[in-house]
Amino acid sequence: MIIAVTGKGGTGKTILAALLTHFISKKTNNVLAVDADPDSNLPDALGVAELVTKTLGEIREVFQESRDDMGTLNKEQWLEGKIYSEAICECDNFDLLVMGRPEGEGCYCFANNLLRGVLRKLMRHYDYIIIDSEAGLEHFSRKTIEGADYIIVVTDMSKKGLATAKRIKELSEELELNFKEIYLVGNRIASKEAEETIRKFAEDNGLKLLEILPYDEKIAELDLKGLPVTLLPEDSEYMRKVKKIADHFIELSVKAR
Amino acid sequence: MAERKRVEVPEGVKKKEVSGVPESFPFEISPMFEGERVRKGDMYVELGGPSQPGFELVIALPKDQVEDMKVTLIGPDLDEMEEGKAYPYAMIYYVAGDQVDNDLEPVIERRNHDFQNYIEGYMHLNQRYDIWIRISKGAIKKGLKSLTEIALATMFLFKNELPFIEKIEAVYITDKELVEKLLNEMAMPIYEERDARVEQLHDEDVEEFYSCTLCQSFAPTNVCVISPDRPSLCGAITWFDGRAAARVDPEGPNRAVPKGECIDPIGGEYTGVNEFAKEESGGEYDRIKLHSFFEYPHTSCGCFEVIGFYMPEVDGIGWVHRGYPDPAPNGLTFSTMAGQTGGGKQVVGFLGIGIAYFRSKKFIQADGGWYRVVWMPKELKERVLKYIPEDMRDKIATEEDAKTIEELKEFLKKVNHPVVTGVVRPVDGKKITEGWKEEEEEKVEEVVEEKAEEAAPAEAAQPAAQPVQQPMMPMQPVQMPAIPQIQMPQIQLPAAGQQPGIKLIIKDAKIIIDKVIIRGKEEKKGGK
Repeated sequence: MIIAVTGKGGTGKTILAALLTHFISKKTNNVLAVDADPDSNLPDALGVAELVTKTLGEIREVFQESRDDMGTLNKEQWLEGKIYSEAICECDNFDLLVMGRPEGEGCYCFANNLLRGVLRKLMRHYDYIIIDSEAGLEHFSRKTIEGADYIIVVTDMSKKGLATAKRIKELSEELELNFKEIYLVGNRIASKEAEETIRKFAEDNGLKLLEILPYDEKIAELDLKGLPVTLLPEDSEYMRKVKKIADHFIELSVKAR
Repeated sequence: MAERKRVEVPEGVKKKEVSGVPESFPFEISPMFEGERVRKGDMYVELGGPSQPGFELVIALPKDQVEDMKVTLIGPDLDEMEEGKAYPYAMIYYVAGDQVDNDLEPVIERRNHDFQNYIEGYMHLNQRYDIWIRISKGAIKKGLKSLTEIALATMFLFKNELPFIEKIEAVYITDKELVEKLLNEMAMPIYEERDARVEQLHDEDVEEFYSCTLCQSFAPTNVCVISPDRPSLCGAITWFDGRAAARVDPEGPNRAVPKGECIDPIGGEYTGVNEFAKEESGGEYDRIKLHSFFEYPHTSCGCFEVIGFYMPEVDGIGWVHRGYPDPAPNGLTFSTMAGQTGGGKQVVGFLGIGIAYFRSKKFIQADGGWYRVVWMPKELKERVLKYIPEDMRDKIATEEDAKTIEELKEFLKKVNHPVVTGVVRPVDGKKITEGWKEEEEEKVEEVVEEKAEEAAPAEAAQPAAQPVQQPMMPMQPVQMPAIPQIQMPQIQLPAAGQQPGIKLIIKDAKIIIDKVIIRGKEEKKGGK
């Protein structure tokens, strides 16, 4: 099951992606978290930043630089070996892959084509793949990641957040991601009135409202101290609600099997 | 050639021998398991990898030296290994068959990766001396007891999928001393020999080239033809990569192109390539010469790492790579030239290539190869220096020697570059250019002063009014490249005062103008 968590920058999508990874990986170790947003920092949110050695983008650069001297080595195997050993970070209960910066100049057709093949083979072995994706869904449009089963669009109360959510909905349809459902999650929603706005927005735009998450000042506090969001108290409203979302996906996954 | 022979088992080392495929294996075998990752926490043991030596090797032997479907394990087996630890690992296969020769060894060897990954709970990464294997606890729990079972399953797959293998035998080694010894003495010389083949293998040695259409989304008529002497323009794909990809997916972006008959061995023209080009480009072009700059050159997609450009003023070719931001001596930057050349067109006078093509023994051989090259950025020159013939290394200018055509001319004269006196192409000793004609070449500085009132008012666009310097293009008519039309700006002068003035149109010209000064009569007084 591939779950893509997306939304405008700053709406809290990385927090949600991190907490979903946290809860789902308590049930199974067969989880891959993917940081597909160069602007955000999923490894920090998960508290595993020091385990990440290389991003996929960095490995692709090494490939571009060293490919002339590979002789008759098989380049796909070379790339696969590097990805498996250096880009995939083995955390206690889940694996983590950081996509990293977009490509530099020059032609990446061949490198990306190999990458696609490697990632396709890799990804089919995980029960859950949780992707923190920037709003442009670049990795999906480039097909480095083939598709998603569920898309979660996170928005706050801001007009921009909602406008981005609308654009993501359109984009994900254009890209033919073959998703089963596209959800909306309201984040940092502090008033009844705001909640109503979000509800109406979801309805008007054909998004299924999954959850309304409250404002939790502890999140900003953890962020300020550079602590992972997974340290939020399990009995807080925020955590209970995210756990509910995680359980929803676990249930869907069990049903699908 | 490195020697191929059976491994001698040293005295006193533990050894296990098994023959024949068992009725069933204690694990599932399916392509479904490809890509399966054995996580550290789920791992029983690690073989090879970052901390232990390891390698895999396939060698061809005469049939009478191979015992079919036999495996010998030298060193401790799985049940003698400690959970969570890493061990040395060598997998050596002897193969035999009427069609099996040394050339096929690497082709067979890289399939070890595929087949071993079909085995559930067994992760195989990398190749050659980098192999890294993890066996999962789950596999052990399901009943995997011995590495000989892995070897037999792998050999079973080899014979099944590659029927030209008539006999196969395996020697697996987990004894550290022996793994290290064989890696250095047996395997490394063979790997090195194979890599040396890359430079020794030429277009005439193979029956097939490979195409690459990965870029067709950007350049629909582009067809990269990848031959042993010509890697792809993007620099990413060699003939060996093409072959590997075509075997895995014959209908994919890299397809085999039977080369057909050779029409022009120097230019590198083949009937098979021409047919393929015609088909793939939708009839846009029907001839391609792989090693020619001027005649039916290879198309350029837009992905190329380096662009070559012809400079008629010096009758030589310059090269500039993507990373060089400044204008080349012809006044154009990489991106300007790339914009004109890309898109899958055959553009005479410009040619996109991959950096690896500079290594080719056939590098634009029809047009003199390195002896026709006059300029490249320093960074690029240093990168490929060892592939430049020694007698040319000091004769190719960089931006430190020349930034303009004028400076380039001076430099080339100073070093007596072949283009000055005439290029003899090494491939057949034919003199292909006649060199510069000294008298015309002297005094190139052209200061054009046109005063409006002096120009003939009526038929203005007369040749007399055109400051066209006759370019020194001393080549034979056949070699005369058609220079692509660089759009020259039309210089149109407004009529000065009452006078009709002149209109100056320059078309398809090769001009060097240092300065054009156009003055109106009245303006002169204005203090300008």
